Amino acid sequence: MSEMDSGTLITIVTIITAGFGIALGTIAPAMAEGRAVAKALESMARQPESARNIRTTLLIAMALLESTAIYVLLIVLILIFANPLLDRFF
Amino acid sequence: MFPNVVFTIFGLPVRDTVISTWVMMGLIVGLALILNRCQPTMLEIIVDFLTDTISDVMGCPAAPYLPLLGTLAIFIAVANVIGVIPFLVSPTHDVNTPLALALVVFISVHYFGIRAKGLIGYLRALASPFFMLPLEIIGQLSRTLSLTLRLFGNIISTELIVAVIFSLAPLFVPLPLVGFSLFTGLLQAYIFTVLAAVYIGAALEANEPIRSRSVEYRT
Repeated sequence: MSEMDSGTLITIVTIITAGFGIALGTIAPAMAEGRAVAKALESMARQPESARNIRTTLLIAMALLESTAIYVLLIVLILIFANPLLDRFF
Repeated sequence: MFPNVVFTIFGLPVRDTVISTWVMMGLIVGLALILNRCQPTMLEIIVDFLTDTISDVMGCPAAPYLPLLGTLAIFIAVANVIGVIPFLVSPTHDVNTPLALALVVFISVHYFGIRAKGLIGYLRALASPFFMLPLEIIGQLSRTLSLTLRLFGNIISTELIVAVIFSLAPLFVPLPLVGFSLFTGLLQAYIFTVLAAVYIGAALEANEPIRSRSVEYRT
């Protein structure tokens, strides 16, 4: 522990960052999608005749909300599999 | 996990995703020919489903846009599920394939917008309050990026989940997750098509008041 080269340090920081990043970055989209689904289910139960339109709009909105989680996943995948900082040292 | 180069033609590297795209093209064309001869009703069901979905989303008759959007839907759906066949990989798990599809959508949005309104009218509708033009340009670019990354991220994440579970508990435990990845692939094909239809519809009627979506247009 006395001497730690920069590659090891970057690896440690990368792993910690990836774990916290994916954990924190999926909370907000999950809550947003939950709210969207809850509202859509309420509306469908209240007006079953417009369920078709609501379902289409809900799927589009879910895709747009989910893309934020996908961005986080992409950053985490880059950090783990193709870390640009590690290439600089090795 | 990442695509590897199989061979090179004249210095151009050909990856395994390209080869499975070729296999996929032959599969789709052959299946369409066989179905057209034996069971034409199945093809009609597919075309009717695509037409209904697209015209519901766009709020106008879908016939002029069905060739592009239907091709996108069928290509992405087959590309996402073809990874379960051994020795083939999903073409969409290389980021270049979703990027190419998203660029096709990006160009065709402007093409259909200009064809509907003329060049001057389309540019005027794009910059209707003039100070919103930079935001509009950023929006156009970032929606291409998000189309790309949504398709790529969903496919690569479900494949990674299956790979990780397979390395932990092989052979039978990952099977439900394989089913889940098939479901995700089909859903992503639907979402990509619907979003492309929404973007084209927005380019067609950018400056007009949005029509009531409850009116059902059928062709």
